[in-house]
Amino acid sequence: MVGLGQSVLGTSFQSPVLLASGTCGYGEEYADLIPLDTLGGLVTKAVSLEPRAGNPPHRVAETPGGMINAIGLQNVGLERFRSEKLPWLREHLVSARTLINVVGHSAGEYAGVVSGLDDDEGFLGYEINVSCPNVKDGTLFGTDPQGLSDLVSKLRRLTKRPLVVKLTPNVPDIGHYARICEDAGADGLSTINTFPGMLIDVERRQPVIGNVSGGVSGPAILPMGVYLTWRAAAAVSIPVIGIGGIRSGADALQYILAGASLVQVGTALFVDPSAPIQVQEEISGYMERHAIRSLGDLVGALEIPGRDPGPVEDSP
Amino acid sequence: MTKPVRTWGRVRENRKAAEATFWIEVDCPEVAETARPGQFVMLGTGLADVAAPFLPRPFSIGARLAGGGIGFLVRVFGEGTRRLAEVSPGDELLVLGPLGRPFTLPADRPALCLAGGVGLAPFLFLAAEATEGGTAVRIVYGERSGARVFDPDLIRRITGVTPELRTEDGSVGRRGLVVDGLDLSGAPQLLACGPSPMLRACAALAAQHDLPLQVSVEEHMGCGVGTCQGCVVLSSQGEWVKSCTEGPVFDARELSW
Repeated sequence: MVGLGQSVLGTSFQSPVLLASGTCGYGEEYADLIPLDTLGGLVTKAVSLEPRAGNPPHRVAETPGGMINAIGLQNVGLERFRSEKLPWLREHLVSARTLINVVGHSAGEYAGVVSGLDDDEGFLGYEINVSCPNVKDGTLFGTDPQGLSDLVSKLRRLTKRPLVVKLTPNVPDIGHYARICEDAGADGLSTINTFPGMLIDVERRQPVIGNVSGGVSGPAILPMGVYLTWRAAAAVSIPVIGIGGIRSGADALQYILAGASLVQVGTALFVDPSAPIQVQEEISGYMERHAIRSLGDLVGALEIPGRDPGPVEDSP
Repeated sequence: MTKPVRTWGRVRENRKAAEATFWIEVDCPEVAETARPGQFVMLGTGLADVAAPFLPRPFSIGARLAGGGIGFLVRVFGEGTRRLAEVSPGDELLVLGPLGRPFTLPADRPALCLAGGVGLAPFLFLAAEATEGGTAVRIVYGERSGARVFDPDLIRRITGVTPELRTEDGSVGRRGLVVDGLDLSGAPQLLACGPSPMLRACAALAAQHDLPLQVSVEEHMGCGVGTCQGCVVLSSQGEWVKSCTEGPVFDARELSW
């Protein structure tokens, strides 16, 4: 394989392919199925200060070209994450990087998780989740410019580790929110979280998902993810991690050409656990075919052909 | 716990076994070798096509076949199962398994399997293994209508057990539900798989007669390996537990009914 390595977020990534939060648990679940430590890294399931119970079933269902989920951030909470999950990641992810996805009901809760983890070893940094559509206040910070700025500034003061903010697609101008994060001291952005959606069982006249609505992911959202990543990357100079519907090397390369330095594979993992490995191999194959020596040369290398203005009307 | 594998399995056979119901056999030696009754696999068509079933679907392993094959019972409920039911010999399916907690076979009691609809599948596997191991097994199998009854000859061929049939319309076997008028002599270990109302009735029956009951539950699944937390059921402690890794087989007392 052509080298997929790159320096991002102040460290080396052996590959641009990471596993997306919420789709790979805390790593261990996929350890028998894929060589995790050959990936760029993984982003853990969200960690909150206290354990969260999550939403009632059904929590997942298939949608055209993807799925809808409303898990409700069920997780073991900070203390059990530190004692049960982080030691496994520390031991098994040596070359691959770990980002811990952090969630909270309040700025204080986010701060509590970051301060609670910061002295531990075995992870690179944080992905701050301000964009979960499946809990009541999940996008509170992600859609409020001042709240977002205050949150990122607050967390910036608590850690020297990389802070990546995972943005919601559900805002009128993602570039605006991207700049807010950069100005407040974020080191990177993840674009995007799932799109809010719902599915109705017409026979029963009831929502399919227990939470009524959920987040839509999978290939169906790929073009929206690529577009929003392109917009966000154009607005900032910090690295962007592209997410949304990636199931092949070509999909990942769309994000990379649009400006993403790294990508995350999520829903495709459920369809085929080997998806992230295939994505890596296909990116490598593309680089060989196009004689690209460094992956960094492809980041943001989108070429937009000059437009032929066509016939111009004579001015009166 | 057995380690799951991800592998492409070649379809050996797909035969219509009842109305909207198909018996599909897939070559899958790594899974067949280690699978235990009550475990399941995620069956899908891979990443190439985004049409349903884009997400794999969970299926109880219905048989361990000679020569490294496994058998499944597929009933058409929606678009995903409709397309799965259309596979032909030679087609390849992406198989992830064996997954989940299996049934615990009783050593000292006869096993009484209560099967509702395609909830029959795990008992085809279990009965075949149990009778081989010398445990006495009965299968009480219910369907809504006679047209849906899975070929009793095939059940006998796979398990060596003649099922006791129940249909709600009375067109085949005895009229009624699997829990109606059951012969519980011999203090059997109850094992149940089927729709939620049926499992609830089984739990009530087991409690009433003070008999042990293991149930295999069904929920929508995303990953099948415990990461997405999509397939939860409510435990008797009031917590959401994952049916893919903590189940799909639970002692009935572990769950909230």
